[in-house]
Amino acid sequence: MRKFIVPMLLVLVAGVLTAFVQQNPEADRLMGVWEPSNGRARVKIEKIGAKYYGKFVWLKEPIDGQPKTDKNNPDPSMKNVPLKGYRMLKDFVYKGNNEWADGTIYDPLNGSTYSCTIKMTNANTLDIRGYIGVSALGRTDVWKRMVVK
Amino acid sequence: MQASKFTVASASRLLLLTALSLVGNALQAQTDVAAPKDTTVPAVEAEEDYSQYDNVGFAAEGSKRYCSPKIEGLSPAKLISIGYDYQMGYHMNADTIRSLKQPYSMPDSAHVMTSNGLRFGCNIPVISRTDLVWQMGANYWEQRYKFEQPDQLQNPMLRSLSENGLRTMGINTTVFKPLNDVKFLLFQGSADLSGDYQFGKFMPLKYTKYSAALIYGKRTSEKKQWGVGVARTYRVGELNYIPIIFYNSTDVANKWGTEILFPARAHVRRTINSRNMLFAGYELEGQSYRLWRGGDAASGNLRNEDLEIRRGEIRLRMVYEFSLKDFLWMSIQAGYRINYRYDVDRLQDGKEVYRAFGLASDAPYVMVNQLTNPLYFNISLNLVSP
Repeated sequence: MRKFIVPMLLVLVAGVLTAFVQQNPEADRLMGVWEPSNGRARVKIEKIGAKYYGKFVWLKEPIDGQPKTDKNNPDPSMKNVPLKGYRMLKDFVYKGNNEWADGTIYDPLNGSTYSCTIKMTNANTLDIRGYIGVSALGRTDVWKRMVVK
Repeated sequence: MQASKFTVASASRLLLLTALSLVGNALQAQTDVAAPKDTTVPAVEAEEDYSQYDNVGFAAEGSKRYCSPKIEGLSPAKLISIGYDYQMGYHMNADTIRSLKQPYSMPDSAHVMTSNGLRFGCNIPVISRTDLVWQMGANYWEQRYKFEQPDQLQNPMLRSLSENGLRTMGINTTVFKPLNDVKFLLFQGSADLSGDYQFGKFMPLKYTKYSAALIYGKRTSEKKQWGVGVARTYRVGELNYIPIIFYNSTDVANKWGTEILFPARAHVRRTINSRNMLFAGYELEGQSYRLWRGGDAASGNLRNEDLEIRRGEIRLRMVYEFSLKDFLWMSIQAGYRINYRYDVDRLQDGKEVYRAFGLASDAPYVMVNQLTNPLYFNISLNLVSP
């Protein structure tokens, strides 16, 4: 019987830990597929550990049909990496009051990474504010939640 | 029994492995996110079936797409800019001030060794939503004149330029209102105080000059936007109401483009890469400056004469803009400054003369000054917008 107790306890502790780390319904509302205002991309936001990350899952491809790569990245080794799958939102933590902060956003159009906060204005709308140093020196883009039709 | 024992042992090992795996996954995830942030090299997610995201729609009924104020390849907008403008030597022939009773208004010719000055501007987003973008800004430009023999100057305008220089200080606002995913309205307005004032002896705010422009445009693709509109402007020195054309474009290869707000400025852009851009073109620059402090006990005081310099110039130029580090950009200009007008007007009962290029009035200027054209340089540091 004792053979069962240790593994069972481990499973129980692991389950509780995992549930504690990974379950936060209010914070998890951020997860899903979102479209920036320009309609040129779709970003899937996921949770890894206690933080939230977003990657490109759809891109409006150029006319010649070639997949878009991270050609504007200042790191030459990244210039041929496909943008699809790229984690452009990183490290977001839920701060309460419908706000996720402490993260960064990457703009593939100029290869720059900005500090970023996310505010959920309603269940299907996000205000994504990228900024430099202080929030006043930034720009807000409005993202809309997308669902499979 | 053996089978049962095997099953129990296997189950316990399986549970143990599962538990370790779950804890390991949690720890691994936390290790990943706890690692130092690499803000330039985003991680790439393992491949998945992305075709599932091809056919999606808005979760909320009634959601609309709006066109962006920018197009692909456009030079970055400047949030904060601090620069220095330097014109090389040129001659200035100052006219007599006509119809004055005072005897001090004699013509004069002088050599300006340099004219230069600080230029500061900022433009901060106030509202930045998909359906409305509103920015507020402020600017300060100064133009100092270094004459070859300043103590020999006779003409009161030249004396004022030598002693006080010219300044422009103002606030501005820009509103971008997309009407749908293609059409938009763009409004720009500014209020500027321009003259030979100094900070210790400030000019009354009633001399503020107001400029504005309204454009209706279309963003026809990710790489092209155009518009037409009207402007109230002092760009050639005196007040004018003119039609304007707005046209920004980038070619398919992202190498060439145009950035045009005609007639205020027009540039061809060569994009070396997203952090290095070269421009060739022109800008009309000018303002109406009130002569407020000029003159002294010997020459009288210009403020009583209700005079304003209508300064307008064309700057043919090459501009190189590049990123020094991340969001900090440098802009270097070199070009030829062509004088369009440096004449002096007298206000009529405190009101400006509106000539409409001679169509509305042929009232003469009280001074018609001649300037030769020098080379000029401009360098600025800019914090650019996300």
